[in-house]
Amino acid sequence: MAIPVTIADDSLLSRKTVRKALPPEWDIELTEACNGKEALAAVAAGKAEVLFLDLTMPELDGFGVLRQLHEHHAKTVVIVISADIQPEARKLVESLGAFRFLHKPLQPDQLRQTLADLGLL
Amino acid sequence: MSMLLSELQRDALQELMNISMGQAANALARLIDAKITLSIPKIVVVDASEFQQMFLTDQYWFTRQSFLGSVKGEALTLLARAGTETIGGLMDYALPLDDRSKEELLLELANILAGACLNGFSTQLALHTKLSMPTMFNAELRQADSFRWSSTLLLEVEFQLEGTAFDSRIVICLEQLSIDVLINKLNTLLEE
Repeated sequence: MAIPVTIADDSLLSRKTVRKALPPEWDIELTEACNGKEALAAVAAGKAEVLFLDLTMPELDGFGVLRQLHEHHAKTVVIVISADIQPEARKLVESLGAFRFLHKPLQPDQLRQTLADLGLL
Repeated sequence: MSMLLSELQRDALQELMNISMGQAANALARLIDAKITLSIPKIVVVDASEFQQMFLTDQYWFTRQSFLGSVKGEALTLLARAGTETIGGLMDYALPLDDRSKEELLLELANILAGACLNGFSTQLALHTKLSMPTMFNAELRQADSFRWSSTLLLEVEFQLEGTAFDSRIVICLEQLSIDVLINKLNTLLEE
């Protein structure tokens, strides 16, 4: 059965980069979100068993999304894909329960490896 | 601006700048063991008089460095005067800073930030650029007149050192020919 996956990023280019990096054999149903609020809505609608999450977004940023998911003990597997790659950002993201912290520009090999590591492939 | 870049091109350019400034902030954050807040990059076209207005402030030190390669232009770095001592301390300079060490510090900072920023930007677009060493730029001496920019594309990113008065801005100025090269590269990226 297809896994519901959401890509949350305000940049069209970034969403496309993630989309293109997804392993073609991975059976998913894809949703795209342009900000944190849309990302949370996707989770609430059951469209994000896996969530690829950008940190810098309008409305509600990625940290805000993580906080809400964390507070609600959401089962979503969050993989952060961020341009802010400072050690502090990684620490905060990990403390908020994200499974992985990937750097932009996203490397397709790294994404595939991450999905394999998490048992998603 | 809308004439120059489409929404898609602007989105792509902004995202590339985002990634570049993330790399620049990381380079500095690791050096001084502090957290740097990043702003959303600004992309604007300015004419000569708007460009000169940037220098009508006594809040910043200015450095400039040119770059050559498949795109040509100049990187200006604005460094907040208010936070110079703080960041000097974090970078293990002897305080208070004398004129010589202050200049050394400012040029070093400019080189780290502008260098990482331009490098990230060039790499992502498969452009080749080589950045010269920065020099101090004294806006009070009206050297601003020496800039040849008449109308130019400015890519501006802002770094704020958390818990201090220090902030820095990198402004990348591109010439018309280079803007054309840049737009071609953006289109290639968008069509892939």
